[in-house]
Amino acid sequence: MNLINIKAVSRKEFYHLIRDFRSMYLAFIIPLLLILMFGYALSLDVDNVKTMVVDHDRTELSRDFIRKLDASSYFKVIYHLRDTVAAIRYLDQGSTTMAVVIPPGWTEDIKADREAQMQVLLDGSDPNFASLSRGYITAFVEAYNRDRFIDFLNRSGKERIEPPVDGRIRVWFNEDLESQNFIVPGIIAIIIMIVGAMLTSLVIAREYENGTMETVRSLPIRGGEFLIGKAIPYFLIALTDVLVAVFMGQVLFGVVMKSSFWLMVLASTIYISVALSLGLLISIATKSQLVANQIAILVTFLPSMLLSNFVFPVENMPKVFQLLTYIVPATYFIDILNGLYLRGLGLDHLWPSYLVLVGMLVVLSNIGFAILKKEGM
Amino acid sequence: MPGYGNDCSGNTDSPLLGTPLVQLEDVSKHFGLIEAVSHVSLQVESGSIFGLVGSDGAGKSTLLRMVATMIKPSSGKIVIDGLDVMSQKMRVKPLIGYMPQRFGLYQDLTVGENIDFFMDIFGIFGAERGKRRERYLGFSNLLPFVDRLAGALSGGMKQKLGLACVLVHQPKVLILDEPTNGVDPVSRQEFWDILGEMRQGGMTILISTAYLDEGEKCDHMGLMHKSRILGIANPEEFRSHYPNLEEAMIHRIKEVDEGLIYDRFGL
Repeated sequence: MNLINIKAVSRKEFYHLIRDFRSMYLAFIIPLLLILMFGYALSLDVDNVKTMVVDHDRTELSRDFIRKLDASSYFKVIYHLRDTVAAIRYLDQGSTTMAVVIPPGWTEDIKADREAQMQVLLDGSDPNFASLSRGYITAFVEAYNRDRFIDFLNRSGKERIEPPVDGRIRVWFNEDLESQNFIVPGIIAIIIMIVGAMLTSLVIAREYENGTMETVRSLPIRGGEFLIGKAIPYFLIALTDVLVAVFMGQVLFGVVMKSSFWLMVLASTIYISVALSLGLLISIATKSQLVANQIAILVTFLPSMLLSNFVFPVENMPKVFQLLTYIVPATYFIDILNGLYLRGLGLDHLWPSYLVLVGMLVVLSNIGFAILKKEGM
Repeated sequence: MPGYGNDCSGNTDSPLLGTPLVQLEDVSKHFGLIEAVSHVSLQVESGSIFGLVGSDGAGKSTLLRMVATMIKPSSGKIVIDGLDVMSQKMRVKPLIGYMPQRFGLYQDLTVGENIDFFMDIFGIFGAERGKRRERYLGFSNLLPFVDRLAGALSGGMKQKLGLACVLVHQPKVLILDEPTNGVDPVSRQEFWDILGEMRQGGMTILISTAYLDEGEKCDHMGLMHKSRILGIANPEEFRSHYPNLEEAMIHRIKEVDEGLIYDRFGL
């Protein structure tokens, strides 16, 4: 390894970078947009579910039920309707996602100790949202039942009675179940893939397309020096993006890291290197910017987004996809970041994921070196 | 066959020229079934200009790429300044300056940044860096355009910048693959003037060209046709039997083509 050669290539690559508007945009603007978009717009939390109520019963009790429903932070009653036909129309239009239908005689059934039925219509076209809404409404009805039950017992002269089992739920690691706490690590993983792999997938293909690869190959410079020199400017940009994302996560979303900052930097360094090797490998193998870009989206960006446990939980995927998640580097990086961010874990727990990333780096970079060597560099 | 020297050996009896710096021994290159270069042997004396002349597809570029360490010969041996090109590639590279047919300059870098990249790679720093920059950009009249992007240069200027870049580490052997192809006559003349000065300074130059008038400016010419060297001689020798160089070449090529037909029919 000749440091002078590495420096020469880095410097040249840096000039390319600052003169290329598209690269600068991908390197700095896209990450900022992603942080803001994911952080604010794509909230995975569900609250204030837009709800319609159709009250056929029209008694004090049914109105009380609806009031309580509206008062809960999970639901927001936006329509009071006369019949289910209208409710179904609104569901069709998509202007609300849930309808609660209280049938006539509901209060009478309750008072007569008969089973009082109530219908809930849910728009299942967004299954995530629907299952969360279902959970909320089920819990709400149960709580309502319990209140009524206790009320009844108390009024019938018994001592104050507590329900026999009272499950008290305490959420660990992400106490408020804020999805931002989970989103910030995921965004960092995706930004690195964009800057690291998608940008670098172009850089060697560009040399082939412009005929400069022939020039470079005639110079006394080794493949390894060339690749490392190429990677350095992108490494620095990716690391800057990570720090910006961490800072913005803290300032805008109040996501504070519980474990060591330096362990995060170490994980990012390794993961960035994996992304860079992958991007450069794609570039060497395809030799065409257009093809390289397509492949980079396919093998870096999309899997990081879809198969990394970031947006979609891996447990719900078919077995084949679950296995695929094991070869996606982002899976391990997000695992580390969640450990550091949410659970306050250290290297003693997270080392296997670090190790897998290092392994991926070794494999990918060596394939890259080998191909360049085969091409006579 | 009426010869102009031997088919496969350089002219070594010229008193002006020194010892062979570049030696090719029975070099061949196959790409699959196609034989791009067939059993070529030649020598280039130190401080001389050797011109490879031949039509497109004759194998000139492949031959030069092998000398420039870019591709490995299928068989045969290439030695530059006592170093084997195949096994001592990293030691050979600093000795040579190779300008490919389609020389890739970095279009989005300025003239100065392009030449700086080459000086970075060859470790030219300090006071020497400024001197070389002056000298080689000066040679090529590019000093006024130091801050211009290479992509904004004219074709002739690009070729001169390419030459400046491969000269900046002062190689012993300069390998140029059709450097003046598509360049205007004035720039071509300037280009050859630079080569002449380099030769005066003791540089050895191996150049391919499709222009016969450029072949005339070489100390030795190798006529390449259908992957083989048909003859090596100095321009006067080629010319001696015919009124001009062009006829000499065409005659020689026809002769060989007919020979090949006879071969094919076993006559």
